[in-house]
Amino acid sequence: MAAFASRKLAPPVITAENKTFFEAARQGRFLIPVCTACNRAHWYPRAICPFCAGDKVEWRAAAGKGTIYTFSVMRRVKEPYIIAHVTLAEGPTMLTNIVACDAHEVRIGQPVTLVFQDTDGGPPVPMFKPA
Amino acid sequence: MTLAGKPRSEGMATGTAPRARDPNQPEAPWEAPYAITTANGYAMCAMRHMYEYGTTSEQLAWVKVAASHHARHNPHAMLPEVVTVEDVLNSPLIADPLHRLDCCVISDGGGAIVLVRPEIAKKLKRPLVRIIGVGEAVKHLTGGTFDLTISGAARAGPMAFAEAGVTAADIKYASIYDSFTITVIMQLEDLGFCPKGAGGKFVADGNLISGVGKLPFNTDGGGLCNNHPANRGSMTKVLEAVRQLRGEAHPAVQVKNCDLALAQGTGFQLATRHGSATMIMERE
Repeated sequence: MAAFASRKLAPPVITAENKTFFEAARQGRFLIPVCTACNRAHWYPRAICPFCAGDKVEWRAAAGKGTIYTFSVMRRVKEPYIIAHVTLAEGPTMLTNIVACDAHEVRIGQPVTLVFQDTDGGPPVPMFKPA
Repeated sequence: MTLAGKPRSEGMATGTAPRARDPNQPEAPWEAPYAITTANGYAMCAMRHMYEYGTTSEQLAWVKVAASHHARHNPHAMLPEVVTVEDVLNSPLIADPLHRLDCCVISDGGGAIVLVRPEIAKKLKRPLVRIIGVGEAVKHLTGGTFDLTISGAARAGPMAFAEAGVTAADIKYASIYDSFTITVIMQLEDLGFCPKGAGGKFVADGNLISGVGKLPFNTDGGGLCNNHPANRGSMTKVLEAVRQLRGEAHPAVQVKNCDLALAQGTGFQLATRHGSATMIMERE
């Protein structure tokens, strides 16, 4: 079964907290929030660091590389898709979809690489495909 | 405390569609595009549990088989038919690795618990049940540093056991929230009924069937076979635990000399964030 995000993706709501991320995404750049106080990257992005509550979180360029922590092939829908948590090279694990591959090829621990996927009238969102 | 829900008649017939959320919640932009649903979220937990601990689909199926052995004695159960491990494995895959029969029903329903002061309780003409330990915990994605094989019961459970002054080995009957078969296995481990990762082996071969196994669970048929009326899923769990402690469960599933019981609930979604509650009750 080929799995890709062929379904229409609702555009994310843009807020003061995520505006910088999605502006960069429109230019094909994948950013990750890093706390300058405790020097840790986190996901999903928050203005206040979820580890140390520091308020000096800055956006840094991320490699767009990771490995699959877990996944599931969603079958009982019109357009099947693969939901996953991917552990990024920078540390945190993020919810995403795995695209551009056959469902039976996907494995936990598999290296994946970022691909931006267009949404319906909004900025693209980060997804992953086998590296 | 009350529960009333009619998700079935309101058309929430499936856990395969993303639920509508407030788009202004901070996690919304990082979840909505990926279509996380109830079913595929719990499926991701099951997938990771299998990867880390070698848990099998057959072991997951045993949870459903045990629930069905209890449901056949419940005239109100939505699914009163006894099923086998093969029946579960042969039911269609919904979200890998969960089959249709790994998923709970969605029903209408309700329930209520009356709590009274001890001096009032003594005047009542029903067997009395006393709450002797409770625990609550919240688990979140914690900045992307989570372990999806663990539920909030790993914190709520020890709190409840400490307050009650008993251990998992003392419990005669357990109501375990069962949105999916994997939900039961993870919570049993987290509550200490078996070591982490051994839940699959623990539930196999009928170990949860009343009169057969070591830990009778969900003797009303649970969410997997009996009912699942919307949120506050712990309500139906507490009700059956109280029936057991009063000796009012169906005779075919009544646990002999049931004087200590546990009810475990989980709210929302193991794969992202959830609340967990444990309650230990004894017969007076």
